[in-house]
Amino acid sequence: MKGKVVNNLMLNDKYYLMEIESEDFVNKAKPGHFMMVKAQQYDYLYDPLLRRPFGVCDIERGRFKILYVLIGKGTNLLSQIKTGSQIEFSEPLGNTFKFNNEKTVALVGGGVGIAPLLFLAKYLHNQDVLVDLYYGGKTEDDILLIDEFKKYCQHIEVTTENGKVGKKGIVTSPLSENIKKYEKIYACGPKRMLQATSTLAINHNIPIEVSLDERMACGMGACLGCLVYVKNDQGEIEQKRCCVEGPVFDGARIVWE
Amino acid sequence: MSKSLEIEICGVKFNNPIITASGTFGYGIEYARFIDLNKLGGVSVKGISLNETTGNKMPRIMETNAGMLNAIGLQNVGVEKFIKEKLPLLKKYDTRIIVNFWGKSIEEYVEVARILDETDIDMLEMNISCPNIKEGGIAFGTDPKMTYSVVYETKKVIKNKPLIVKLSPNVTDIKLFGKVAQEAGADAISAINTLLGMAINIETKKPYISNITGGLSGPAIKPVAIRMVYELYKTVSIPIIGIGGIMNYKDVVEFYLAGASAVQIGTANFVNPEISIKIVTELEDYLKSKKVDKITDLTGKVIA
Ligand SMILES: Cc1cc2nc3c(=O)[nH]c(=O)nc-3n(C[C@H](O)[C@H](O)[C@H](O)COP(=O)(O)OP(=O)(O)OC[C@H]3O[C@@H](n4cnc5c(N)ncnc54)[C@H](O)[C@@H]3O)c2cc1C
Ligand SMILES: Cc1cc2nc3c(=O)[nH]c(=O)nc-3n(C[C@H](O)[C@H](O)[C@H](O)COP(=O)(O)O)c2cc1C
Ligand code: FES
Repeated sequence: MKGKVVNNLMLNDKYYLMEIESEDFVNKAKPGHFMMVKAQQYDYLYDPLLRRPFGVCDIERGRFKILYVLIGKGTNLLSQIKTGSQIEFSEPLGNTFKFNNEKTVALVGGGVGIAPLLFLAKYLHNQDVLVDLYYGGKTEDDILLIDEFKKYCQHIEVTTENGKVGKKGIVTSPLSENIKKYEKIYACGPKRMLQATSTLAINHNIPIEVSLDERMACGMGACLGCLVYVKNDQGEIEQKRCCVEGPVFDGARIVWE
Repeated sequence: MSKSLEIEICGVKFNNPIITASGTFGYGIEYARFIDLNKLGGVSVKGISLNETTGNKMPRIMETNAGMLNAIGLQNVGVEKFIKEKLPLLKKYDTRIIVNFWGKSIEEYVEVARILDETDIDMLEMNISCPNIKEGGIAFGTDPKMTYSVVYETKKVIKNKPLIVKLSPNVTDIKLFGKVAQEAGADAISAINTLLGMAINIETKKPYISNITGGLSGPAIKPVAIRMVYELYKTVSIPIIGIGGIMNYKDVVEFYLAGASAVQIGTANFVNPEISIKIVTELEDYLKSKKVDKITDLTGKVIA
């Protein structure tokens, strides 16, 4: 698919928010989906070679947004794309977050892991679900889009490791105080945060879904480079492809090495 | 589609010479949602073994300059499950089916080939060149005596299909291996598989992939592949399928000039799932503009 970049906004030194016009993509995208994005603007540039996976952060009237953090070659090239340029990306890929008529849910996000949670918050809000957000970052720079989240969330708890914004500490502390309130938890962020959140959820018998981030080459199930280890009903460990059977998994079943 | 791209290798007719390379296109059906498989000349499926194999530990892939390293470890569902569950789905499309296969011993190579020979696939492709598994794999492709034995023994049980032998680039003299494969009975050669490589994270001082080394593929390896196809063309009389870093029609033409009779597209499928089909169209336009009747007229026509 192709679309027009209508905005490529620098949020701070580390984060960008790109808005892309594509009716086709928007019609297919559901909360939890991701896409493979071509970072280079010219076909003859083979370095970086592979497309980069990004979650769908938001959709609105024929446009979708990706929130990205500058890491290396790919994301730095993305940050240089000018408004008005064409950009290539895949269809919405992977599975989606699941809902079971839960009325009160918690979203737990860290850093750029907040990206797919905005789309999810909006969707749940429109289904009259009460949504609370637990948002953790290292520093104040990692706390983004709060005004957007405020539109869809009842209650927002922010933590940072230096305490400059929100409470000092990690996000699982405020979550653990209120956890009994929730019928379901959705999380996306660094692995350690997802593991801690899953443990909390399991201990309180609350269903949890997490969106995982594995290195991907194809994004469509062909290369077998993105495996995740998951326990099945019998307790046996199975290999799942993060790009096809994920990126959203039952947090209680993941084998966290 | 015009006739200029039609080819025949070992009696098998292909609508065009663009084949997707083993391990980069799953069992073919993974891509059916995104592209029209009928437009491909052929599909070479993920390397099949006698029993299901779970592959290496994660992480298994890393991007490098204009290429990537992989150490998937030939993960596959095994020959029986492949025939029962995957092949019927792929058979629905009008594209030639090449089954890439491997074993941990000569006996396993022979057994898998014997089973596949009875199915309605079009060709067999023997992988003696995977750098990512300890037993078998690359050992068969880097020792001429073992290459001879495995090709010779396997060829004996194959009654119905042409056998392609896929060579390893991780040798000093590829000509020797081409010659040995031909003498042992190979009907065609495909070259090349991935080059053994390595990448290290300077922060953690650890290799990026769990297997420490991996197979390098993508545009970074194209010059090596072109050279090897060129050398093989001067050495063997059986058809050569060129593989390695093909990203567009120009790369295909280059492989043809070096001596290829068909090509396989690998890593490029990851970069853009539609790329193989795009190359078919571009190639057709190129031949038309150059007034070349048949793509095969280009084979080995480098002026050197
Ligand atoms: C399903 C999914 C959704 C994602 N959503 C987002 C998002 O919404 N926003 C965002 O900023 N990031 C997201 N990521 C992570 C993002 O893909 C990487 O940060 C990005 O690929 C880094 O590219 P680079 O070229 O800048 O870094 P480099 O370090 O130069 O990349 C080198 C190679 O490693 C791969 N790679 C490196 N880090 C990661 C990583 N953490 N995850 C996957 N591949 C990696 C790259 O794809 C590339 O092949 C997501 C990852 C996945 C798997
Ligand atoms: C992820 C991956 C998996 C592969 N698996 C196989 C395999 O199972 N059997 C095989 O013969 N070659 C395998 N290969 C090698 C490719 O078929 C091809 O020979 C190689 O990648 C070079 O071509 P390219 O540069 O176009 O990718 C694999 C390559 C990659 C990147
Ligand atoms: S990224 Fe290739 S199988 Fe998941």
